Amino acid sequence: MKFDTVIIGGGLAGLACGIRLQNRGFKCAIVSAGQSALHFSSGSFDLLNELPDGTAVANPEKAIHLLDKKHPYAKIGDKFPVYTQEAKQLLLDAGIEVQGDSKRNSYRITPMGTTMPTWLTLTDFTTLETPNEVIGKKILLVNIAGFLDFNTKFVADAFETNGAECKIISVSLPEFEKLRQSPTEMRSANIARVLENENTLNALVAKLKEASKSFDTVALPAVFGLSSNDPVKKIKQLLDIPVHIIPTMPPSVAGIRTQKRLRRVFELAGGFYMLGDSVVNAEIGDGKIYNVYTVNHGDIALYADNFILASGSFFSNGLCASMDGVTEPVFGADVDFDPNRNTWYNASVFGAQRYRTFGVATDDQFRIKINGKVQDNVYAIGSVLSGFDALQEGCGAGVSLLTALYVADHLKK
Amino acid sequence: MKNCNSENNEFDVIIIGGGITGAGTARDCALRGMKVLLVERFDFAAGATGRNHGLLHSGARYAVTDKESATECIKENMILRKIAKHCVEENDGLFISLPEDDINFQSKFVESCQAAGINAQIIDPAEARRIEPSVNSTLIGAVKVPDGSVDPFRLTLANIIDAKANGAKVLVYHEVVELIKEQGRIIGVTVVNHKTQENNKYYAPLTINAAGIWGHRIAEMAGAKIGMFPAKGSLLIFGHRVNNIVLNRCRKPADADILVPGDTICLIGTTSSHVGFDEVDNMRVTSEEVDLLLREGQKLAPALATTRILRAYAGVRPLVAADNDPSGRNISRGIVLLDHETRDGIPGFATITGGKLMTYRLMAEWATDLACKKLGIDKPCVTMTEALPGSREEEPMPKGKTYDLSNRIKRSTVGRHGDMASKIASDNEFDNSLVCECEDVSVGEVQYALKELDVHNMEDLRHRTRVGMGTCQGELCACRAAGLLSEAHNCAHQAKADLAKFLNERWKGMYPVAWGEALRESEYTQWVYSGICGMNKMEEK
Repeated sequence: MKFDTVIIGGGLAGLACGIRLQNRGFKCAIVSAGQSALHFSSGSFDLLNELPDGTAVANPEKAIHLLDKKHPYAKIGDKFPVYTQEAKQLLLDAGIEVQGDSKRNSYRITPMGTTMPTWLTLTDFTTLETPNEVIGKKILLVNIAGFLDFNTKFVADAFETNGAECKIISVSLPEFEKLRQSPTEMRSANIARVLENENTLNALVAKLKEASKSFDTVALPAVFGLSSNDPVKKIKQLLDIPVHIIPTMPPSVAGIRTQKRLRRVFELAGGFYMLGDSVVNAEIGDGKIYNVYTVNHGDIALYADNFILASGSFFSNGLCASMDGVTEPVFGADVDFDPNRNTWYNASVFGAQRYRTFGVATDDQFRIKINGKVQDNVYAIGSVLSGFDALQEGCGAGVSLLTALYVADHLKK
Repeated sequence: MKNCNSENNEFDVIIIGGGITGAGTARDCALRGMKVLLVERFDFAAGATGRNHGLLHSGARYAVTDKESATECIKENMILRKIAKHCVEENDGLFISLPEDDINFQSKFVESCQAAGINAQIIDPAEARRIEPSVNSTLIGAVKVPDGSVDPFRLTLANIIDAKANGAKVLVYHEVVELIKEQGRIIGVTVVNHKTQENNKYYAPLTINAAGIWGHRIAEMAGAKIGMFPAKGSLLIFGHRVNNIVLNRCRKPADADILVPGDTICLIGTTSSHVGFDEVDNMRVTSEEVDLLLREGQKLAPALATTRILRAYAGVRPLVAADNDPSGRNISRGIVLLDHETRDGIPGFATITGGKLMTYRLMAEWATDLACKKLGIDKPCVTMTEALPGSREEEPMPKGKTYDLSNRIKRSTVGRHGDMASKIASDNEFDNSLVCECEDVSVGEVQYALKELDVHNMEDLRHRTRVGMGTCQGELCACRAAGLLSEAHNCAHQAKADLAKFLNERWKGMYPVAWGEALRESEYTQWVYSGICGMNKMEEK
């Protein structure tokens, strides 16, 4: 099989890159092993919340000049503001409704009820201007009875700290009984599936209307809309008071929807998405890759002019750590890491972790190297890259989107 | 001066330490009719008790070098199988000889075992490979012995539950800050309640120091000196059971030569090194120790090389120098009971230390015998025959429930709580909903633990139920359990702080072995709690 570009990894970076390339007239295939980090996302996209030294960032566009030259953003350089605009537009064009500004971080509400800075937030959720803003004075905090991944007590505690008054209730509908019979089924995506049924959603809304009479705000867990944000819109429309959707613990219903949307848009643009497949081998020539072989396609090679590695970090198996090193399993690309294992970790689980800055080494065009030699037609994008700690800096989604678009624009036919 | 409500502050005996020795002693004293107070500065089994192999020694390991310990072990081994069957797995053990080992050691080993009363049988290497397929296939000899596994958390808790059932008062998170002296006699203790920071005084004619390595400091408070040496032992836990029979090396005891299967996991250990008293509260496993444990462990079961490691941890064993040897060179691993009245001229104070998990019951018996003598009580010890709660009934599950737990969850809860599993609510789907999917812990089980088993925080809950002990090390169940905790204690703020502490404690055991799958899991956990939940920022606030 012959493509213009083969992308390895079908998460945020791979899909954004694939959509952009299809729109530029490239014929792309994406090889995706399965779920991506989007399935576990917060419903927001971070751009840059903190510098590596811990300094808070209010305006990401201004702060990127302070980053080390190894940081992926430093390679994008002056085009950074252009690509933030285009990344946002790509999401909007895909029908993924987001709000936010790359010149000014806003705040999202976490599943703990606290706030975190962010760039773009799905319109399901609430965007706050300041970290201590309250969503209401008298809040009715609702959970689905028996749903353990939405911690109403924690959320109420955080809201009350900022001066709101909360009442917690659980609602139950007969439609959930079937889920409940299995001890492991009361999870966000399953609940969302039940609520896809319009009658069930209406029954829930009726209960909420009754219960929220003496309140000025309703807060609900994000268990709505696996394929569109219509259920959220409907609830907001039918209730007379403001409704706020609060993220839950994973899986993320809004994240699953985002993933589905991006894949759909990629396929509608003519892209070929190979789900449940993974690259097992590659034919590597002199500074160039000719083709890759996958599990599902056996001895049928995928040929392409260019290859893009968007295989994610350790969690996604884009990087593999052993006792004495870190490798990139698809191409055996050179990886930036420290061979001394004692330096990889911070004793505090919440601290910056050095291992998270490890990743594939690239030149200034994001081309990978094998044994020190730059590969002319192989690029790396997203979390597989080295030079940043996505969690500490709060820049994971931004790096994925921006490197994807940057690389897509620099490919030549 | 005693408090006005002296009734509530006066006891026959005060026991310091909520490890297995203290718990066992509290139970024995209570069974013999004493009014008992047990004080523990953290949770039950928080020290060496919860940080060892969980090996139900047959005694074979000590047969050649220490016959007395070996004899004690096999006797206690047989007793625990009867009185604590819900804490014990009768797995058996193999002592294998590898090509690099001296096969002539085997005959001496078997002779010594038999002399100590341990049923040791030489079996053919082929037979060893058949009954334990994970064993190093190059073995040249094997001896089968009645080793097993024992869950130290469950065992400690069962002793505590029975002590309380017999009238003992038990205070966790209460630390002894002073021994009260009157005319040279110890008449009680001052404890600080770590929850409220309040000080309380309690009085008894006898105080028993069962604080393990921390007993060194307790003895100093009384004015007595015990030659104790903290010995650090590090272990690795693997994500599943590689072996079903305990694997040992048939040679003189050395580092990392025991692989014990227990519950859903198996573990290799230990290293052994002396550490300073300043380190005993903050043990960290070094990468050198990890490398050694893996290297040696693979010799027992080569599959360990490719098995996922869950975590590393270290305990501190209290080694005690014999009294006639102040240099500390002659260290005993046997039981040490010190009557400080005769030894140091300090009436009202005794120390029970040394020994091992296996011999806790015997240690408790000795200490209780001494207490009886001091208090003029004439009652025989019954703990060698009286079964512990959880191990009393043959058919533990209650009958007549309208809705039963699924068989899998039922097996897990009965395994953890024995006949006490009947107290776990399973009346409806809410109770049966799973909190921890790795270890099959239901909402009902968590709520039972919160209500009945002295659970103050997430760590306590983990010890009672195995929440967060599975392959994911508390990824999602930690947050679910914290939610139930905050409801039970009605304090979300505390539960959040506690969740953060719990995640840090899990990470402490994970990062020494964080590569491969363990690192994948860790990155995900950090993604969830720092990235999505923003808990990294909550800590700063």
